[in-house]
Amino acid sequence: MTPVHFSFCSAFILGLMGLTFHRTHLLSALLCLEGMMLSLFIALALWTLQFEMTGFSAAPMLLLAFSACEASAGLALLVATARTHGTDRLQNLNLLQC
Amino acid sequence: MTYLVSLLLIALIVGLVAVASNPAPYFAALGLVVAAGVGCGVLISHGGSFLSLVLFLIYLGGMLVVFAYSAALAAEPFPESWGDRSVFGYVVIYFVGVGLMMKFFCGGWYEGSWMIIDTFKEFSMLRGDISGVAMMYSLGGSMLVICAWVLLLTLFVVLELTRGLSRGSLRAV
Repeated sequence: MTPVHFSFCSAFILGLMGLTFHRTHLLSALLCLEGMMLSLFIALALWTLQFEMTGFSAAPMLLLAFSACEASAGLALLVATARTHGTDRLQNLNLLQC
Repeated sequence: MTYLVSLLLIALIVGLVAVASNPAPYFAALGLVVAAGVGCGVLISHGGSFLSLVLFLIYLGGMLVVFAYSAALAAEPFPESWGDRSVFGYVVIYFVGVGLMMKFFCGGWYEGSWMIIDTFKEFSMLRGDISGVAMMYSLGGSMLVICAWVLLLTLFVVLELTRGLSRGSLRAV
């Protein structure tokens, strides 16, 4: 694995682990999701550049557009949580707890 | 050249460790800004100047600004930084994990065959990545329309999610 390939793979895995083991805030989980999107953008753009497939460079742009949609949906959920539960701490989202 | 790109890649991993160890969201957004900046540097080193500009403008200047002022919703009186006990444990574990993976998986550079895009090609006014993105308007026009439709749909999704307070989609009855 070249160092470039290794670094965006490990960046994706780090973001995934940060999302899995999130601790208190909903917003830190959303930021880890953004970190995963960043590593995917870098991966697609480097794929385009290193293989010189210039027609593929529309793919990172479209990925960025769809990830903007996902980030806005996540932030809308954050705002809804802060309005109804008062805070975005995950221990307050406990309605389904027995 | 190799040293510069190695430095940028290390900074990318350090930035994402700073996000993944889950400090207070202020600090995680800072780590993400650093990671996006050095990611742009990596893309420029491979010749993708337009894609790097798009990353800076849209990702940092659009999405992360919104995250930064949404961090006001996660305000705490004593935010946890990377030196505090619980966060520092995660930082150490992630660095050790990346180091172990690097020992097993990381290989060589093949430096002699490293070419920026469009070297040894014919003269052109535009680099490869710009002309590739321009294809999105000609042959990929249907994907552009679909993308615009999805963005409009997301606007209405956001509107519905934040409307309604205790009778809405997220409630604490």
